[in-house]
Amino acid sequence: MNRRVELNRGNRIFLACVYWAFVLYVFVPLILMIVMGFKDSKFIGFPIRSWTLDWYTGVFSDAEVLYTFGYSVVIAILSTLISVIVGTWIAVLLEGRKFWGRAVTFGLMVLPALVPGIISAIAFRIYARMLGIEPGMGAIIWAHAVHNVPFVTLVVMARLSTLPKSQIEAARDLGADPLMAFMRITLPYLVPAILGASVFCLLLSFDDFVRSFFLGGYEPTLPVLIFAMLRSGMSPEINAIATVALVLTAAIGIWAERFTRRANKESQT
Amino acid sequence: MTYDASVRKDRDGHTAPSGDRPFWGRVANWGPYRAFSAILTASPRRQFIILAAFPILWLLTQHLGPMLQMLRVSLIDAYPVAPGTPQAFTFDNYMRFFGDRIFWQPFFRTLTFAAVFTFCTLILTYPVAYFLARHVSRKNQMLMLLLLLIPFWVGEIVRTYAIMILLGNTGAVNLALKWLGLIDRPIPFMYTSFSMGIGIVYLTALYMLLPLYSALEKLPQSMNEAAADLGAGAWTRFRRISLPLTIEGISSGCILVFLISTGFYATPVLLGGPSTTVFAETIAGFFHVAGDEWPTGAAFAVIMFAAALVITGVFQKVMNMLRKGDTK
Repeated sequence: MNRRVELNRGNRIFLACVYWAFVLYVFVPLILMIVMGFKDSKFIGFPIRSWTLDWYTGVFSDAEVLYTFGYSVVIAILSTLISVIVGTWIAVLLEGRKFWGRAVTFGLMVLPALVPGIISAIAFRIYARMLGIEPGMGAIIWAHAVHNVPFVTLVVMARLSTLPKSQIEAARDLGADPLMAFMRITLPYLVPAILGASVFCLLLSFDDFVRSFFLGGYEPTLPVLIFAMLRSGMSPEINAIATVALVLTAAIGIWAERFTRRANKESQT
Repeated sequence: MTYDASVRKDRDGHTAPSGDRPFWGRVANWGPYRAFSAILTASPRRQFIILAAFPILWLLTQHLGPMLQMLRVSLIDAYPVAPGTPQAFTFDNYMRFFGDRIFWQPFFRTLTFAAVFTFCTLILTYPVAYFLARHVSRKNQMLMLLLLLIPFWVGEIVRTYAIMILLGNTGAVNLALKWLGLIDRPIPFMYTSFSMGIGIVYLTALYMLLPLYSALEKLPQSMNEAAADLGAGAWTRFRRISLPLTIEGISSGCILVFLISTGFYATPVLLGGPSTTVFAETIAGFFHVAGDEWPTGAAFAVIMFAAALVITGVFQKVMNMLRKGDTK
């Protein structure tokens, strides 16, 4: 490709600098947070004179933290299961089908993703009360599941639009009914998208604060626990907990990104 | 994944040696399944109803339901309703908003902040997206984009905390400034609109970056080349080609970021101070106390959502007009 005419050298260097400055902006705060978790002092900040692993051993032997961690993971997994099933179903309905009210249906589908966080949390809180769902695990799972459906649907719809129609037609010609054709042709084709969307939902649920905060009972999820600890002041234990959460979410995110990219590439060839 | 091959094999006389075949064969011949299949294939209309019933029900009860119920609660005088007492329809909850400065001041502050932060995010991420989409080879593009994605996998609270550490009085920024000899005593960044801005831009940047990147990536290279051949300088090319053609990406990024920034609760609580109370905190206040303050909270949430929708709607109209005006 001829990039000769794009910009002169000076502008190009300027843009590269902006990019790397942006990389610093998004990485430095997290790196600092990780570093502070190894500092041998109750006091967060520079200078750092000596290092320790005590905060980590402390956190890993704290039953409450471990319980909260497990609680958040269970919520994430259960809400993701619901989101994925419902989201895929809606995607199959919406993709490549023309029917009366499709535009409205599409609008309703994306609604939970567009409602600002606090309003979404409040609306779920009021609705849970109407349905008689007590604040707690069930309410959080339900709210996360509803909130994450649009992300699944959008990802699955994108994948579905690339499925060759001829394969479905071939299956139908061979005597498969629509459900069988879906189970044996469409669903296997959607697997990469569904897995990618699942990981995304897991992370959204695990990281979510505002819904967990307003729909939670007495047991906090991990972000709610960190928030509560932060309100009573910074401490290196928070750094340790946050670092564990960070490493876990970033690792899962990177893995999913690579996995979906590779799967997409394979199915294209 | 090679579904093509397996289908083709099936066509050659049903001899595909696929491991799951007996299972699916058994399912297909299973009595209840055949009954269901008969219902399903009876007519295209019935098939559509079976497919559409659950999603439509879900969308109405789960996606639309909470918003409608919030609207309903905002229009009644007490919630939850005490048994035996009739609930009355009222606009008082909305009127309360206009009656007191401590209500509408955070509201306008939130909208102003959200607009300013959205603009800052745009200014910051446009060059980044431009650089990625136009100046980096295809292979490196993915790697450099993935590099930026990593921090955005991390949750809101963890990243807010990271900003608290960065900007604290003994944080890295103050340390660096001191080391450079620019300041003697630390600058109190924290608990101001500045720290809140840094935090919110940090949280929303990706939602701006991705639409901009995909818009810029689609930009045909030939246009820039033609413009350059005709003697247009870098700035002219940017203003006359890149900017008008990416206006769709700009407007969807801005709308997304604006809506998200109006909804933050934890970040303003942790990074802001008493002078930067946002409307989310006002709304939340009504839900910390039990019971009858809920209708007011619901009304305030409705006001905020309506305002955000009106603003983004007008914004989109203006952007569309700009685009049409430019391509003429």
